[in-house]
Amino acid sequence: MKLVQRLRSTLGLSIGLFVVLAAYVVYNGRQAPKLPGFTIENIATALFTGLAIGALYALYATGIVVVYTTTGIFNFSQAAVAAFCAYLYWQLRVDWHWAAPPALALVILVVAPLIGLVLDRLIMRKLEDAPVVIQLLVTVGVMYFILIATGQIWESDTSRKLPAFYGTKSIDLGPINLTYHRAIVLIVAIIVAVALRLLFRSRLGVAMRAVVDNRSLAALTGAKPNIVSSAAWAIGSVLAAIAGIMIAPELELDPSNLNAVLVFAFAAAVFGQLRSLPMALVGALLLGVGRQFQISFLKFGGDWTFARDGLAPIVLLLAVLALPQSRLQVGRVARNLKPIERTSKVWETALGGVVLIVLFLALSGGWLNFGIWDPASWNQIALNRANPALATAFIGMSLVPLTGWAGQLNFAPMAFAGWGAYLHLRFALAGDGPTVSIWWLVLVGVLSAPLGALVALVAGRLRGLYLALASIAFTELMAKLFFPHPAAGFRDINKFKPFDVFGVDLTTRRQFLMLLVVLLAIFMVLLTMLRQSRYGRRWMALNNSEAASATVGVSVASTKVVVYAVSAAMAGIGGALFGTASGTVAATSTFILDKSIPIVLLMAIGGMAYPIAALFTMFQLMFLALGERLEQAGAPGWLLGILTFLRLFGPGLGAIGMVANQRGAAFETGRQNARYLPWRKDAKEDYAAARAKRREPEIGELGLSQAFSVADVVAIERRLGVADDLAAHGVARAQGVGVVVAGG
Amino acid sequence: MASPERKESALSLLEVDRVSVRFGGLLAVHAASLAVEAGTITGLIGPNGAGKTTLFNVVTGLQPPSNGDVMFDGRSVTRLGVHKRARLGIARTFQKLEAFNSLSARDNVLVAAEMATKARRQGRSVAAVANEALEQVGLADMAHITVGTMPTATARLVELARALATGPKILLLDEASSGLNDEETGAIGELLARLVRESGVSVLLVEHDMNFVMGLCSQLYVLDLGQVIASGTPAEMQRNPLVQAAYLGTAKEPAA
Repeated sequence: MKLVQRLRSTLGLSIGLFVVLAAYVVYNGRQAPKLPGFTIENIATALFTGLAIGALYALYATGIVVVYTTTGIFNFSQAAVAAFCAYLYWQLRVDWHWAAPPALALVILVVAPLIGLVLDRLIMRKLEDAPVVIQLLVTVGVMYFILIATGQIWESDTSRKLPAFYGTKSIDLGPINLTYHRAIVLIVAIIVAVALRLLFRSRLGVAMRAVVDNRSLAALTGAKPNIVSSAAWAIGSVLAAIAGIMIAPELELDPSNLNAVLVFAFAAAVFGQLRSLPMALVGALLLGVGRQFQISFLKFGGDWTFARDGLAPIVLLLAVLALPQSRLQVGRVARNLKPIERTSKVWETALGGVVLIVLFLALSGGWLNFGIWDPASWNQIALNRANPALATAFIGMSLVPLTGWAGQLNFAPMAFAGWGAYLHLRFALAGDGPTVSIWWLVLVGVLSAPLGALVALVAGRLRGLYLALASIAFTELMAKLFFPHPAAGFRDINKFKPFDVFGVDLTTRRQFLMLLVVLLAIFMVLLTMLRQSRYGRRWMALNNSEAASATVGVSVASTKVVVYAVSAAMAGIGGALFGTASGTVAATSTFILDKSIPIVLLMAIGGMAYPIAALFTMFQLMFLALGERLEQAGAPGWLLGILTFLRLFGPGLGAIGMVANQRGAAFETGRQNARYLPWRKDAKEDYAAARAKRREPEIGELGLSQAFSVADVVAIERRLGVADDLAAHGVARAQGVGVVVAGG
Repeated sequence: MASPERKESALSLLEVDRVSVRFGGLLAVHAASLAVEAGTITGLIGPNGAGKTTLFNVVTGLQPPSNGDVMFDGRSVTRLGVHKRARLGIARTFQKLEAFNSLSARDNVLVAAEMATKARRQGRSVAAVANEALEQVGLADMAHITVGTMPTATARLVELARALATGPKILLLDEASSGLNDEETGAIGELLARLVRESGVSVLLVEHDMNFVMGLCSQLYVLDLGQVIASGTPAEMQRNPLVQAAYLGTAKEPAA
């Protein structure tokens, strides 16, 4: 019964995918100038090459599925670990001239499992009960950290090439030629698949599957959740190492290039519904073959030469949408709440905005001289760096209502920004004249909103991980299929004109900087007002519980449409400003996933629910400008070193730090420092109360190895915050102990 | 304020007609029917796992039934979305808390009041409706507290206030008294009786506290293993051998 249902759903999914793929191929094929012949040889060669490439995707996807089914954590860092291992292998094999077997053994059997164990022990195990959003952001942080570290260790100034196994030698199989390397890939993939199959049937495998269903229950039946979790991460890393070393000769040795495989791996893993290894394998092979057939038999003509890159995101999006979705369900427990959550008053934000404006006026005018700071004002280069950072703050701010309040995880802010930049380029800049009116930004916002609404309509019923994956697919679709198209207008030299406001032309960089600061202050005030409005409340409510929202009459679907539209409008305006700040943009390297992710991470570290996190994001991005200015001013090396470290590793490390602090820096800074504001008497009291509470013993310190005294039990109840509940039940303390012991 | 005609109308306010819910191989609710008359308090009782919450989910739309119909206010709402049913006047609380934890009690209630139409609010302002709901459950002076930091029993009252603020025609209460002491339970009972008397609201409640049910309800339905095994007045139900068997087991069943 269950099997039949499952078969039917997978079959439906496969057929659906193929129909869409076929339509996609046929549509693009219309413009193909010449199709190579469909000879047996061509087809067989393409098939085997495709299978070999698919087998590589399968290795990635398998690692993700193994970790996900065992620990419930979807590992974004899979391809980053693979890239690191590929570089390490290059170091041993090529640079240090080791023989292949010891190099392989060291990387695959020693280093990779160690990476897995370290990740598990230091980070992932602490995420067990964390909300999905935090789990995702932390693994994205790990991915970002590893990629940056890899890029730093092996700087890109020298070109590296990892040789294929047995070079270019190939096996002659009648009509086709298969290189040894690809043959090995196929064999390894089969061995891995069989080994995992056996493993999952073994005692450890059964324990692994039990642990993910219910960790504590599995522990009671004798499984050891910690060992199981470590084993899963170690296996995942080993698979990553194998995949990285095998795929590197097919691609260039470049961290972000190697990481780009991730979308294929995700698509394959989701094809297997994130649970089924055989189905993930099938998905990966289909993707590999599909991709190779595209390359071999489809010459995308005319304006669509880039179109073949759209395959992976399309498959990912469709597979996510086809996944069985959970119905409205119980809300997650909100953590780390304060008894009185105070939202900023509008006048407070306005005051902050004025301070910001004055600060930037002084900084950019060179009137503020911080010792080593060059008083001769910001030069053009510094402003060129500062302006895009400020514009990025708008793009980051678009996440505040959408992700921070409504809880819709979104990795696509740069896709919306790119759309806004496109609109601005298309309409506002089409006219003559050296400047463009600031009011065009309103139109850009209005026209950006429908794209957000569209995303909400397509992906609105997705939640958590699936929503994140869909937003990744959306970003990739925009980056691979829309922005490169000539119609988007980014391909030619695009020129963003300066703005004019009420007839005043803002042609200098400093004038534009001040415009950005003023707009930023206005946006922050608007967001503060929005948070206190019925919409802000409703979006927060939706985040807490969709089911309860619906039962008081909130339409979940249309509320999501609205909040996505608002977010897209903000990001769109941010994109138009970003284009203007840069003067001209290379869309295909700007409005992409790689640029979206640091923004999402920085906003999360700052505190996604607070508009001020956008300032945090902006300042982090300005470190670049700051570092250059300080260097010119002759700052000491260690200071520059710290700044460089923060700039490079800040987003990754900060996101990993969210293991400990889930509400972000804005929240913690506010909690610690609001008491210094003269009008915040409530914060002073809170602080005193928090200090008093900290002196209470932790439950662990009360000692589980010895008998409880009544006082211990009372302390535990107070610490757990259940004292009131028990009192409400009329549980008297002296008998309460008896009840606990009696096994109540 | 309730119109006397409606109380005497022949059609019940809520009618659940032979509803079944199947989860895979498990028949959680099996052809269950019940009716709630306008302006009354009706109880739904039964042992744990009898399907009471599932039936609530069917009425509010969170769980589509495999079979059967839900009629509300003279029309079928079986195909209507959750929020549309809420706007027609079906409000509920949850057994497992579903308060908006990161919002204050007042904001919880405001979200609901803001969704109510002016007619539903009887012309009063949103703020007035919210304040009244908070006062009715006795939370007026805790309105600014974040619900996620409240004890469970208090958060239950927030859910009740939130349900009231929608201006409902029927209130579905899933174990509203659990976690409350006798005094608080009594207060809830009085509040419900007053609401029914004064504003003509109907109530369908799932309860384990038998004293509460017996004193309050005019009609009881007993659910066991997904089926309605008996219905009638509380006094009748107390005497019903089927009900006693469901709750206490019979001598024939060795497991019980």
